[in-house]
Amino acid sequence: MSDSRNPKPGDKIFRPGRTKKFHLRRVLGTAGLFSAAYGDVGSSIYYALGVVAMSALGLTPPVLMISGLVFLFTALTYAEGATMLPEAGGSGAFAYRAFNPLVSFIASWVLMLDYIVTMSISAFSAVNYLGYIFPALGHWPADSIGGIVVVVFLAYINIRGLQASSRLNIIMVMVDLLTQITIAILAALLVVKIPTLIHNIHWGVAPTTNQFLFGVSISMVAYTGIETVSNLGSEAKDPGKSIPRAVIFVFITVFILWAVLSMAALSAYPVHQAANGTWVTDLTQKYLHDPILGIAYVMPVSIRHVLSFWVAFLAVTILIIATNAGMLGASRLAYFMGQRQQLPGIISKVSRRARVPLNAILVFSVIASVLIGIGHIGLLADLYAFGAVLAYTLAHASIIALRIKEPSLPRPFKIPVNLHIKGKEIPVSSILGGLATFITWFIVVYTHAVGRVVGFSWLAIGLLIYFLYRRRRGKQPSDWTVEPKKKKTQEML
Amino acid sequence: MFKKILVPVAGNNADNETIRLACRLAKKDKGKVWAVSVVTIKRALPLDAEIDSEIKKAEEILNNVENIAAEEAYEVETDVLQARDVGPAIVDEAVERGVSLILMGVALKQRFGQFSLGNVVPYVLKNSPCPVILYQQ
Repeated sequence: MSDSRNPKPGDKIFRPGRTKKFHLRRVLGTAGLFSAAYGDVGSSIYYALGVVAMSALGLTPPVLMISGLVFLFTALTYAEGATMLPEAGGSGAFAYRAFNPLVSFIASWVLMLDYIVTMSISAFSAVNYLGYIFPALGHWPADSIGGIVVVVFLAYINIRGLQASSRLNIIMVMVDLLTQITIAILAALLVVKIPTLIHNIHWGVAPTTNQFLFGVSISMVAYTGIETVSNLGSEAKDPGKSIPRAVIFVFITVFILWAVLSMAALSAYPVHQAANGTWVTDLTQKYLHDPILGIAYVMPVSIRHVLSFWVAFLAVTILIIATNAGMLGASRLAYFMGQRQQLPGIISKVSRRARVPLNAILVFSVIASVLIGIGHIGLLADLYAFGAVLAYTLAHASIIALRIKEPSLPRPFKIPVNLHIKGKEIPVSSILGGLATFITWFIVVYTHAVGRVVGFSWLAIGLLIYFLYRRRRGKQPSDWTVEPKKKKTQEML
Repeated sequence: MFKKILVPVAGNNADNETIRLACRLAKKDKGKVWAVSVVTIKRALPLDAEIDSEIKKAEEILNNVENIAAEEAYEVETDVLQARDVGPAIVDEAVERGVSLILMGVALKQRFGQFSLGNVVPYVLKNSPCPVILYQQ
């Protein structure tokens, strides 16, 4: 049948609606962001104290204060970055915009290491706290086996896609926060003794300068999870206000809690010289894996057992939530890297059936399980410090570079206090934070032998995958440049 | 009476009749009808992840909605939403657009041999800022 209708140029089909491909429902306000971030950062309170006290000894409280300041600078950097580029990649996303895909890859790859270590350290510590209720779980290898079971269980849940209850998460985090505040108040009133804290410090001996530097670098583990805010940037309602507020609230809360809890722990378990002449504290001898139980144990007899049981129960819950947060972070980051052609599709692709990056979850769960199997919390903290401070350094550098390269980029939150150099505003906190994290990374590399070897091996494997993958794929869309029409012009001539 | 009607569609048997009913209700007052299809994104992915298969499915559902609306000679605005949960996304959309009615089609679902409304409908009924009409075919 011939088409008798003669379409004219003006005849158009108008299809209303769907002007955009899709739009997102942003639901997280300041409270939601705070609870998500605190769920991560606050969980480190349950394991970091022992790790830091192992090397910083009597100087543990000031060391945690110093790393708290670095955390504040980093938190401000992430607040500006997350509101400016609300993507899942965190420092990788900032570096992608500020520098190039390679720098972005390095930032994302070390961050991936951090997420995996967060999974390992949280699952391992959760089982150690469970050891208070079931004593058989409190020792190696039972704690490692238990940790691996936790990771496998969470991987199964995430692959099957059972819906996690956000409301339950928020309630648990709030209960956790209230418990930590209660312990801190009780500890401040009943346990903290300033003269003991002063006597704990033996300048140049306990800790030695090396131990002190080691302590400062490893104390980064006390603030795991600041990246969470970046991850949730795309889900935040009014991100220009809610993200900075959530970040500042998290900082204030964690900073105060660390100050009080570390002073309480070192008051209750003073630094002393062991029979072999080394300086130690019973906190790390008896409660290395579950230091908050150590604080609960020195409370008055009437509340000691109830409080210890409650702390153990809550720590298990919060640390399992933190393990899951690490798994979700790694999974989202794998997706981000896959989208930017930084990770082969076999790892990053979203499974059609499960609708999650299935292979990424499986691979990272296996690596986390291997790390848990070793059962050495010090090694995990080393690795965390190696990845975290490098990622933070690159985040600070990216924010500074973007202030220079793209000063007009919309920034719903702009870090206050800036240096004015050649008409550019450079945030002072990012300069200080960048320098501090870079020096810390240098100390980590210099003083942590295991962290250095494993960390650089991780980086080398990643770069090998990256270069082989990029070489195989050829130039990526983001690298394309418009070739000048020289050839054509010459042909015409 | 119902100037702004929101119709969440899920690609089930009840969609066609729900859209027809929405068009007829809106026609009387020359009201506006929005049809939305919600794509749920698991927490293992960023909210802005583009899952082509899911978006394509949602687009097909909305194409069908537009065809049904065209049969009723009425204009329907359609949109794909990405969210973590369907219920809160529908309620948020209703609040944001200031709708006067949510019209939902309910497919016959059975759980353990009993009729079940699922999770979404009870959530919307409980939290909706406006009247809700359920249509079961």
